[in-house]
Amino acid sequence: MPPKRKAAPGQGNATKAGRASAMSTPGPATPRSLDSSMMSDGDDDFDEDVTEAQREREALLSREADDFVNKFTFKGKRLQGQDDEPAGGGRRADAATRLFKKRDFSYLPLKPDHQNRPLWIDPDSCTVVLERFNPLAEQATDFLITIAEPKSRPTFLHEYALTPHSLYAAVSVGLRPRDIINTLERFLKTSLPDVVRRKIEDHTKSFGKVKLVLKHNKYFVESVDAEVLQTLLKDQVIGSLRVHGSGDITTSYAPTMGGLVIPGTQNAAGVHQANLRQAEKKPGEGGDASNEADLFTALNEEDDDDDKEAVHAFEISDADVETVQKRCLDIGFPILEEYDFRNDDVNPNLEIDLRPNTQIRPYQEKSLSKMFGNGRAKSGIIVLPCGAGKTLVGITAACTIKKGVIVLCTSSMSVVQWRQEFLKWSNINPDDVAIFTAESKQKFSGSTGIIVTTYSMVTNSRERSHDSKKMMDFLRGREWGLMLLDEVHVVPAEMFRRVISSIKSHSKLGLTATLLREDDKISHLNFLIGPKLYEANWMELSQQGHIAKVQCAEVWCPMPTEFYDEYLRANARMRRTLYAMNPRKFQACQYLINYHEARGDKIIVFSDELYSLKQYALKLKKVFIYGGTSQNERMQVLENFQHNPEVNTLFLSKIGDTSLDLPEATCLIQISSHFGSRRQEAQRLGRILRAKRRNDEGFNAFFYSLVSKDTQEMYYSSKRQAFLVDQGYAFKVITQLANIEKTPDLAFATPLESRELLQRTLVDNERGGEDDVETDDLFGKPGRGAGGRGGGRKAGNGVRRTAGMLSELAGGQDMAYIEQNKAANKALKGKGKKGAGGDGQSKFFKGLQREKEKSRARG
Amino acid sequence: MVKAVRGVLVECEPAIKSILVHIDSTHHHEFIIEDLDDTHLFVKEAMLQVLKSKLEERLRETYRPDEPLEDSE
Repeated sequence: MPPKRKAAPGQGNATKAGRASAMSTPGPATPRSLDSSMMSDGDDDFDEDVTEAQREREALLSREADDFVNKFTFKGKRLQGQDDEPAGGGRRADAATRLFKKRDFSYLPLKPDHQNRPLWIDPDSCTVVLERFNPLAEQATDFLITIAEPKSRPTFLHEYALTPHSLYAAVSVGLRPRDIINTLERFLKTSLPDVVRRKIEDHTKSFGKVKLVLKHNKYFVESVDAEVLQTLLKDQVIGSLRVHGSGDITTSYAPTMGGLVIPGTQNAAGVHQANLRQAEKKPGEGGDASNEADLFTALNEEDDDDDKEAVHAFEISDADVETVQKRCLDIGFPILEEYDFRNDDVNPNLEIDLRPNTQIRPYQEKSLSKMFGNGRAKSGIIVLPCGAGKTLVGITAACTIKKGVIVLCTSSMSVVQWRQEFLKWSNINPDDVAIFTAESKQKFSGSTGIIVTTYSMVTNSRERSHDSKKMMDFLRGREWGLMLLDEVHVVPAEMFRRVISSIKSHSKLGLTATLLREDDKISHLNFLIGPKLYEANWMELSQQGHIAKVQCAEVWCPMPTEFYDEYLRANARMRRTLYAMNPRKFQACQYLINYHEARGDKIIVFSDELYSLKQYALKLKKVFIYGGTSQNERMQVLENFQHNPEVNTLFLSKIGDTSLDLPEATCLIQISSHFGSRRQEAQRLGRILRAKRRNDEGFNAFFYSLVSKDTQEMYYSSKRQAFLVDQGYAFKVITQLANIEKTPDLAFATPLESRELLQRTLVDNERGGEDDVETDDLFGKPGRGAGGRGGGRKAGNGVRRTAGMLSELAGGQDMAYIEQNKAANKALKGKGKKGAGGDGQSKFFKGLQREKEKSRARG
Repeated sequence: MVKAVRGVLVECEPAIKSILVHIDSTHHHEFIIEDLDDTHLFVKEAMLQVLKSKLEERLRETYRPDEPLEDSE
């Protein structure tokens, strides 16, 4: 893909006039791009670092360019923008002007002190570019995270987009349009274009004006603006749904953060001991206080006045909530959901607190302070990378609300994990954490508690067993304070609607690492759960040592000619198998495994392709787990991988993509993957982010993606990396692994072997590769016996009568000669049994065998 | 009777050669005169342009394949 260049906003003039720093000029381009010669004057003084950064940015921008074209949320109108053109600015065409085409923003005047301001803006797409190296960057980052969606965050330049959703989220955490515009104006190098100003006003005008509040278990529609409320009441649908008799519009005072302490924060412990229920405590004192404080300094002053501002509300009945919500959306007043849990006396309180020694990390605290911004619980989604402690955020939220909690996760494995985490981090009575899965259906003992279950258990609409039906009625029959939704990105919107409609909860908190889907259904979540409350910066977390530092690399493996010929002829399904089975890839995999095992790394190898997974694992004599592996075997393999120093490599199919917790793993190799799924790539990377050894000096985790050259994989691979690149990860491309040919026992080193592999791959897959290995296991032993006998026949040269299978005559059993490749899983099992002291048992079986042999000899 | 055909020597990567051979075989072998080795082909001069455009078409497919959008679990 040739890089498409996109000019950074406001760059036209900047090249000449505003060289704030080397970074703001389009630097030396990659050699391929046409305009590099035009821009390269004056670049000679750039040092190595800068060019590096430039190139990085270049790559990003080129990729982003496509995005921009496709998914503008705002349709910019150039003419409007030009209204801003000041008398002095004027349009000055220079040599570079034409290259920017429509993206020439030189009409935006630079402020005289623009060097000191960190932001650029593109008025057409409402994209804000942040200079990370600017002294003010920290504050600007905090601000941008609140009002815009991070699009890409490499080392030096970050890109954020102002979208309706992000503005909606900003309003929901209490920012007002005025604040947003003022602060933007303060940080921008140019004055804020009118188009953008208008957009911000448009999109924030109605958002957040109306709130849906559950107070004393009655639903209230609440607003600071009495006029808005009147508009709603005049609306025929909503007006008729108002509960009368409760008097007209009630007026009370807006809530503040006063008295609410998020447990686990730095001085929560102190407050606790003193047993004081007061003392306004700003979230994030201590470490990140400066950020938060700086950011909102201006805003806080105004907030103080707000505290006395009156809010107006009218009541609606429970049954009509959804109708009202829908109607409000239709007439342009989307409703925010808030839960005033401190004033809820109807639902019993839950005895739960974080253990005193639990300290939550600054970013977790920050995310929670967004949720409990005004002393009430807002519904929304928190995005944290894998391994950054999403569970703890959920638990802390539960400890803050202290009401009944329902936790929904994706698998029964993570159900168990969630329960354990609850017991580990909080002082909750173990009886109060119940599990609802197909196997176990518990209820908590007290009047309230925590239920952990899976999405499928709750949404399953088919016949249920008597028990689960009773359980469902129990779940439906109560009100929950908090609904925790783990891995929200995986669940289809339909399923959510069903969950949300069947279970009543006051607030919902979604947790995920990768808020993206290839099918773009993410926006649905914003309306079903709530806005994105917080998104962490991966790079920042890894610099602080909360998640591991990762080196990413893409290894290009050429296809041998025979394979490529076959690839060209094959159908789509076979192509996938072929590029996974590429012998060069196999060698690269073997080489990397050897290399990293020698370094003492624990390695996970991922393959989506079942056939190749098995072939690789068998050939390299490593353990593997896939969908068909039994639960017992899985546990055994996983345990060995974790504790056995001899088992350092584990092959996983895509069942290992999510929620498999292996902190030992430090290296990851990917041999085949699900098309261009960015999410899968990120989730897989997540497997090594929580590496135990991450805080060792100079420790790096490794992520390799093996790609067959000249195939579709190359395209998919570049697509898959998009998300991680946006998070600031740089992928190195390795075209040649040094000394690979010196690897001892290199697989498929000769053309003959690789041709054999090709033939086998083709044959195996023609007759349905799936059950192939299963049959191998079953007939393994007789096959070997036949081989031995075959040898005898040659020597004897006479006619002999033997029992055998027809396939043996046809040479079909020849496969069995390669049976040295026994699944390494079995070796483990054998060892495990011996270790378990099953001596008596094995003796017993030995006896049986002896008996059998004797009788055979006799016969 | 000797029949002479004007040809062009094409040098390329093995992968590209594979694609060219594949194109040739799906078009009644009207492009290639002689398959020399892994990186060399002898191609009819008259057909060179056609072959080039076909190759380009093919490469576009490789780098922009149709992709199933399903992404659910």
